[in-house]
Amino acid sequence: MNMERYTWTLRVSTACKDRATVFVRQHQFPVGAPVQFDAAYDAITALEYVLGAIGADVVNGFRALARKRRVEVDHVEAVIEGALNNPLTYLGVVGESGHPGLEQVSVKVYVASLAAEAEIQRVWQEMLDKSPLVRTFQPAIRFELSLQVVL
Amino acid sequence: MDKPILMGAVLYNPKVSVIWDIISAFFQDNGCPIDTVFYTNYELQVEALLKGHIDIAWNSPLAWLDAQRQSGSTCRAIAMRDTDRERVSYLITKTQGRIKTVEDLRGKTVAVGAKDSPQATLIPLGLLQRQGLQPGKDVQVRRFDLMVGKHGDHIGGELEAFKCLASGEADASALVDLNWQTWTQDGTINPGEYAILATTAPFDHCCFTVRADFPPEREQQFLRVLFSMHYDNPKHREMMDLEGLKAWVPGRTSGYGLLHEAVEKQHFFAGTTP
Repeated sequence: MNMERYTWTLRVSTACKDRATVFVRQHQFPVGAPVQFDAAYDAITALEYVLGAIGADVVNGFRALARKRRVEVDHVEAVIEGALNNPLTYLGVVGESGHPGLEQVSVKVYVASLAAEAEIQRVWQEMLDKSPLVRTFQPAIRFELSLQVVL
Repeated sequence: MDKPILMGAVLYNPKVSVIWDIISAFFQDNGCPIDTVFYTNYELQVEALLKGHIDIAWNSPLAWLDAQRQSGSTCRAIAMRDTDRERVSYLITKTQGRIKTVEDLRGKTVAVGAKDSPQATLIPLGLLQRQGLQPGKDVQVRRFDLMVGKHGDHIGGELEAFKCLASGEADASALVDLNWQTWTQDGTINPGEYAILATTAPFDHCCFTVRADFPPEREQQFLRVLFSMHYDNPKHREMMDLEGLKAWVPGRTSGYGLLHEAVEKQHFFAGTTP
């Protein structure tokens, strides 16, 4: 590798119970608890940000590459599902085994386009090769990706 | 700050922790902090209670009996939900089938829940025994051992038992009255196709259990806050709905006789040391 190492630096700070603020360049966003099981919880959890980031990486990456390769795409959407190895271990349940890490992520991508299927597939493969998050998670956990072209 | 009361609870689903978060916040706000310790099964929780690792255990009825068995009957049941009292279980069968009485089950198959489920296994099998049918001898038993150790808190075993009946692999299945009510309303069970064949005698379900040496002043402090929850207070109602009650009531042990009888007749604790 003939380049200087490029790194990203964020600052994350918390001054209250379960709310952190992430400062990144000129932006900032709040993050809630690491994980939550309450559907009414009023913040976005760290885990949800990770899953959302994977989805955003895929749909934005696909869209950007499609534009670059001059493949016309109307809409790209992804449904992400993630599962922990054993969420009860996060809660400290005595007697449980396993760990609270992500074990499986599934990403279903829907592309609305009139372009030829082969062109869409070429963009898809290129996106998978170039996606920082797909390349990070794919070898580490059960990572299922699927693409469906809709008209 | 008062030293928190250590409360034990068994979790079968992480969502249940939300209920305990709400309860803990309520106790904190009312000057009686509690810390919740979660266990994967009731055996571990009973052991923790008796060893003094926790002060109060939210026990299943079987865990209550186990705590009494292991402590020489010195534990106390201090509170329960109104809905823990006077429960019954049913044996149900197909309305179009040939089973019209419990005696008709002789030589047939009954589907039940997990082996440690009071409501879906032990007490319904006790009903058969009371009527002179020996499970495994006079009646074949199809048992659905989902999440053993959780004492039937998880409804999966009962549901699998019902599916076994529905598929024709069993002639009757066992379930608690609350699940019958829910499932006949939500479409899981078509009430036109299935009927209640037999109803057990009433029994009590969960209770807050303490050791004999739990200080009375701490107990009173806990009960004072617990009994201050009122269903007509919207702030309390959310938790009470999640936990399935309209009021907390004093604990009583008179409702555990039926399960005790079933456990004895079925030698449930045989081979385990008190």
